[in-house]
Amino acid sequence: MIILAIAGRELRSIFHTTVGWLVIAGFLLMTGFFWATMVSFYIVQGADLLSNPNAAMQMSLTDHLLAPFFGNTAVVLLMLSPALSMRLFSEEIKQRTLELLLTAPVSTWEIILGKFLGAMGFVGAMLLGTLTVPLSLWLWASPDPGALFGGYLSLGLLAAAVISLGMLFSSLSQNQIVAVVLTFSASLALWILSWVSEDPQALVVQMSLSSHLQDLATGVVRLSDLAYFAGFVGFFLFATQQRVDSTRWR
Amino acid sequence: MAEIQVESLTRRFGTTTAVERVSFTVEKGEIVGFLGPNGAGKSTTMRILTGALGATEGRVLVGGVDVFERPTDAKRIIGYLPEVPPVYTDMTVRAYLRYAARLRRVPDPKGAAEQVMRRVGLEEVAHRLIGHLSKGFKQRVGIAQALVHQPKVLILDEPTSGLDPGQRREIRELIQDLSAGEVTVILSTHVLSEVEALCDRVIIINRGRIVAQDSIEVLARSGRTVVLEVESPDASLTARLSALDGVEGVEADGPRIRVRTARDLRAEIARAAVPAGLLELRAENALEDVFLQLTASEVA
Repeated sequence: MIILAIAGRELRSIFHTTVGWLVIAGFLLMTGFFWATMVSFYIVQGADLLSNPNAAMQMSLTDHLLAPFFGNTAVVLLMLSPALSMRLFSEEIKQRTLELLLTAPVSTWEIILGKFLGAMGFVGAMLLGTLTVPLSLWLWASPDPGALFGGYLSLGLLAAAVISLGMLFSSLSQNQIVAVVLTFSASLALWILSWVSEDPQALVVQMSLSSHLQDLATGVVRLSDLAYFAGFVGFFLFATQQRVDSTRWR
Repeated sequence: MAEIQVESLTRRFGTTTAVERVSFTVEKGEIVGFLGPNGAGKSTTMRILTGALGATEGRVLVGGVDVFERPTDAKRIIGYLPEVPPVYTDMTVRAYLRYAARLRRVPDPKGAAEQVMRRVGLEEVAHRLIGHLSKGFKQRVGIAQALVHQPKVLILDEPTSGLDPGQRREIRELIQDLSAGEVTVILSTHVLSEVEALCDRVIIINRGRIVAQDSIEVLARSGRTVVLEVESPDASLTARLSALDGVEGVEADGPRIRVRTARDLRAEIARAAVPAGLLELRAENALEDVFLQLTASEVA
């Protein structure tokens, strides 16, 4: 299948770059650090509450450990994902290899989905590296599998959103720095949009990436949140497709 | 029916017209050379034929398939080498050619890659990263990706640029082989001797228009310059040469004299020059002459 061939090449080529390894190393280092500090904080908190059995009953792994962990990991992912999407088209335009794809019997959609899946495959590898977290948790406690699933789902959806956005910026310029700066600025803006208003129903809050991740990170999967991410990714993939197609006409 | 049929092709970029009402046909197995100064519209025309670029107006049929209406079907039968070979420098030659074969939906990509490496002479560098190869090898990898799906039509934008004379000859022989196997070839080049050695027909493009298209013999006949070297050049020789019927111009540069003629006047010129001590007489590369005339006249 062509899409998988393109995705495979994309995935391998990220592993061939220094950026790829820096991203994966930085990600694991930061998430590992967060996990270690949060667990020790959780233990200290738990010890303090031993004298108060009622309060101790209120403490939950999901709310006091997993949700904050996934929340912090999401921020790290938000910062690093633009580095994965920046080269998807910029590099091909600069090296003049896009010509190979444009003159192959392959549709623009296949090119875009292939590249998107390739970058997501790399995100998958990054997230795989954090699996030690739930595994270690299971050794000593019984975390809610739903919360773990929701947490990973929220990270995957966030990365998909940032990468789809980044792919559009990458298709606009042959300069990867321009692509990464634009992607990071735009996704950060979409992240902090929810701080603008206190009202959770306000449009700006509804448009924000972060407000749609909150509940997912605790294992509450809402159709409206899924629809938001599907629409977000779909829109930016479509915009990229329009952009790449238009290069034939400009 | 012609293998490639281009009808009134026009391409504008904003207000500039890169290609204007270009029409031509190429028969199956023919090798056609695109000639023209830099920026004449050769690459643009080739990119439109391969589907990399859209056209503002006109129609292109390759193997009977409309390139604009059924691009995917057309691309299956076209092999294309752009001006800069579209190679991924972080891949090995073998991995790259397998990838190129998969993109072209070849049923057996591995076999196709091995076969084309043998054909183009890349076996010794198969395992090396393309980024570490010399320019000549990179160019060959570019040619290999254009051939990997055994296309019926081959479009090569300056296939021998960056190659040494030995490599140039190898590529020429490869193209001749392919043409004998019924592959239709369009190639552009700056090297006129290559066109003469390789092409059945030449299309000269200048400022986006076709200014001439014909076989090399016919084109070469239309322009003739004879260059003389004499022992004792003087004004009377110049006068005698100018007086010959069919002579269009005489330029003297010391003992070297260039005579532009409308037809073959070598015998008459030789007789006129013998009294001045004729040392050498030769006809200048006719195609180069035609090329320069056709492409310069428009600029003036």
